[in-house]
Amino acid sequence: MYKAKSIKELRKLLDDKKVTKEELFEESTSLAKKYQEDYNSFVTILDKFKSKDSDSILDGIPYSLKDSFSTSNILTTASSNILKDYIPVYDATVYKKLKKAGATLIGKTTLDELAMGGTGTTAATGIVRNPYDKERLIGGSSAGAASSVALGITPFAIGSDTGDSVRKPASHGGIVGFKPTYGRISRYGLFAFASSLDHVGILTRNVEDAAIVTDVLKGKDENDMTTLKTDRTEYASHLEDSIKGKKLFYIKEICNLEEYPKQSTELKETLSDFKILLDKCRELGFIVEEVSIDKKLLEAIYPTYMTISCAEATSNNSNLTGIQFGPRPKADNVDDLMFKARTKGFSELIKRRFILGSYILQKENQEKLFLNAGRVRRIIVDKINKLFEEYDAMILPASGGPAPKIEGTTEEVTDDEVVLENHLAIANFGGMPSITIPFTIVNGLPVGVNITCKAKEDCKTLNIAHEIEKVTGLKDIYKEVD
Amino acid sequence: MIKKEDLKRYANLLMFDMDEDEYDTLEKEFKTILKQMDHIAEIKDIEKVEPMTFPFLNDDATLREDEVGAYLTVGEVLDNAKEEVDDQVKVPKVVDEDV
Repeated sequence: MYKAKSIKELRKLLDDKKVTKEELFEESTSLAKKYQEDYNSFVTILDKFKSKDSDSILDGIPYSLKDSFSTSNILTTASSNILKDYIPVYDATVYKKLKKAGATLIGKTTLDELAMGGTGTTAATGIVRNPYDKERLIGGSSAGAASSVALGITPFAIGSDTGDSVRKPASHGGIVGFKPTYGRISRYGLFAFASSLDHVGILTRNVEDAAIVTDVLKGKDENDMTTLKTDRTEYASHLEDSIKGKKLFYIKEICNLEEYPKQSTELKETLSDFKILLDKCRELGFIVEEVSIDKKLLEAIYPTYMTISCAEATSNNSNLTGIQFGPRPKADNVDDLMFKARTKGFSELIKRRFILGSYILQKENQEKLFLNAGRVRRIIVDKINKLFEEYDAMILPASGGPAPKIEGTTEEVTDDEVVLENHLAIANFGGMPSITIPFTIVNGLPVGVNITCKAKEDCKTLNIAHEIEKVTGLKDIYKEVD
Repeated sequence: MIKKEDLKRYANLLMFDMDEDEYDTLEKEFKTILKQMDHIAEIKDIEKVEPMTFPFLNDDATLREDEVGAYLTVGEVLDNAKEEVDDQVKVPKVVDEDV
């Protein structure tokens, strides 16, 4: 009855006493339970309604948290067997802020194990499926967060984004995925994957809701020394600022069909619809121009991301030993205990990523692998930041088409990696605010467009996205399923 | 060229093991990623660039003074441990009795 409503619509219903907070919680949790078997969006669905009263716009609004955010007294597994019975004793800052705002947590969502994947197929509790087609993936790692919002269960979900983990599933699910500037939102209590790339991200069905939630979550946190000074600008009240004359650029080597040796119908349609969107942007008053970037540099994005993220992850996850928490196998000594706990607790993919990370960090490989990846990261970020001296935002398709089929999808590193599927990591390299919104339907499935601005220009990013959302005709979409 | 034995050694250093076929997949994956990294090394003047370790310089990031305070109780710390003794996490014996 209140399904798929926006934050503002729910706020009005609550204020007019047409619905109670408890009724919203009951409806969201019953929808979550109803869709769980088919879509597997949740690791935990809460039973008891709990909410503090507040005068925040989010008071009584239901939402979900990715299962890699620490929530005291609520199971938090990061979708890994090594944490399958872990119950945290402290709250992540985002959870604490949302509790204070009176928002109602309805459950913890499924992710690729330890957030280290991009398909939503590697959680210890199984595959997360796409509401638009159960045979297709939703993408990851914030897979359950994206599918639950696409199903209309809650108006917003909190995820995390290290390479594209909020913005790619948003594209596959026909929803909005926003990753604010690095440090804009505290990561205290978010299980670290790759600390120099990790961001908190927000999934919603429209840009305004993303702005509203960011306004509540942003701010300096003494528990996270990477947080920025609190930005007092209220982003949600600047969405209608004029965009006339704002300059957007897209990258020729990513957007031109001729660049791709394998041209599927879905790719053709996506790129052709993207050009149509650019024309609509021009009609709105944006200036849109094409820029060219050395393809070799763009092709280096993926290996650079893999190198940095695997190296940082190997170190970050060394605390998962089976001693302080997690399942503890029978063992003769401490080494044996750790060895057995880690062998049994991590899936194959995670182990492969850790070994890669360990190899990269070996003294003899650091110069050629780890440091070179850091150098490429700087070259790419400098290049994009240089363009931001002339342009307000970068606009690109968030992926080369709709969500791929689950069958045949692999998390193996192959030679087939294409720039169009990996460029979103640029915003992680440079900590830039970056948002994906749905812009077209290809083959009956949604595809998103991504808008990225200079670091700290979160307000402008949301303003531009909000304007473009007006011409997509896909605001507030969700998938009605049986 | 990386060998399977090397991969096993790295896995064991990280305190875990994998099945044989999983090492095969990894060996294949390594070939690809090392080839891609070779391409990176070919980027012009790369050696002159300072590696980037954080997205941007954050002037707001400051180290605060350490402050003594009560954050977690002993009970909370031990909540997730499977075995405990005398307010500590119990682990299998570390020192041999004969020593």
